[in-house]
Amino acid sequence: MTRASMVTTIAAAAALTALLALQPVRAQQRGAAPAAPASAPAAEPAPRMADGHPDLSGVWWTGGDVGGRGYNGGRGRGVRTGGPPAATFTSLYNPTTAAAAKQLGDKDDPTLKCIPTALGTLNVSLFDVGAVGQIVATPKFVVMLTETFHGFRIVAADGRPHREDVPPSYRGDSVGRWDGDVFVVDTKNFTDDTWMWAEGRVSPHSDQLRIVERYRRVDKNTLEIDATVTDPKVLTAPWTVPKQTLVLAPFDQILPLVCSGLETGPLMDAAAKQKAAEK
Amino acid sequence: MKRAGYAVLAFVLLFGVGAPLSAHHSFAAAYDTTKAITVQGAIVQVRLTNPHSWFFLDVKEPDGKVTRWAFEAGTPSGMIRNGYKASELTAGTIVTIRGFRARDLSQNMGMLQTLTTADGKSYGMFGPQEGPAAR
Repeated sequence: MTRASMVTTIAAAAALTALLALQPVRAQQRGAAPAAPASAPAAEPAPRMADGHPDLSGVWWTGGDVGGRGYNGGRGRGVRTGGPPAATFTSLYNPTTAAAAKQLGDKDDPTLKCIPTALGTLNVSLFDVGAVGQIVATPKFVVMLTETFHGFRIVAADGRPHREDVPPSYRGDSVGRWDGDVFVVDTKNFTDDTWMWAEGRVSPHSDQLRIVERYRRVDKNTLEIDATVTDPKVLTAPWTVPKQTLVLAPFDQILPLVCSGLETGPLMDAAAKQKAAEK
Repeated sequence: MKRAGYAVLAFVLLFGVGAPLSAHHSFAAAYDTTKAITVQGAIVQVRLTNPHSWFFLDVKEPDGKVTRWAFEAGTPSGMIRNGYKASELTAGTIVTIRGFRARDLSQNMGMLQTLTTADGKSYGMFGPQEGPAAR
């Protein structure tokens, strides 16, 4: 907009300023509203596969998608059950990593370049950066499909060891085994150039990151996930991920959505340079 | 509102009306939430992509010059599951967008907070603000 046109709109700007300042921001109101609980049909037993193990298949979410009715990012981040606050991944950083993390900021977030996280923004690896994921389970493989960046993990379910011939990757190499009705997934062989989470949560990790998850389909509509994270290069102790409780979504396919929205990164870079120049 | 009649209603820099955002991304690093902006123009493209959707529109200034603006919104999956359909807000639709301007003032870009059509439909960062899935 030209300087001249700016001047011509001053009167309108003043009027709109008053109007907008007086009006509550509806999106904020909606975001601040307590999440409606997901409708919970009467619990039916978890379905089972031909080999007798629970069938983890389904599209799973916290009860809704981001910004919508039923979405419960709080549930995705784990439920507090009292007592002192649980340790977080970053609170367990060793001094070297804590210092290194301070040099990073939003503009360094790998997801701005469509690079996935190692775990997931809501502490649910099935979601990665989004809030919805799909599992396709067979007795031989459990395939975990993330929606936001079209990621996948093919988890052998027969207890085999990790492969030695795969390069490090953003989401690591996963193997699985059944411990009774609990599916245990062991993931390692990560790269060291992405984060545990995303979206402003500065959380680098190392190539020694290892995540062990325990999936339990409590009933037809409920999937619980416990996980433990170790990273001897960056953490002073293992991190216990808050328990995640997901519910079955009312649809059976995730969406095919590309990741190509790269405009935000340059905006953040420019803003950071501007801020540095002002100091 | 007829296309021929659309123009910039206002370009507003509002200081002091910023408020915490319950946004999906760390928007504050790229957008100044103390600088609200309201722009009216014609939709050029709605891009339903990750990590976030974008709305592009052409804004006609009083001197007749047309300026392309881009506004970042929320996750496309959230928009779609909250009721947004790709068949709406097609190219040429006149909309008014309220949001916050990018900190990089060299770019005509911002973060979408609300989008309103001429017939009164309202959208937020995550799609329609009315409907069974919206909250």
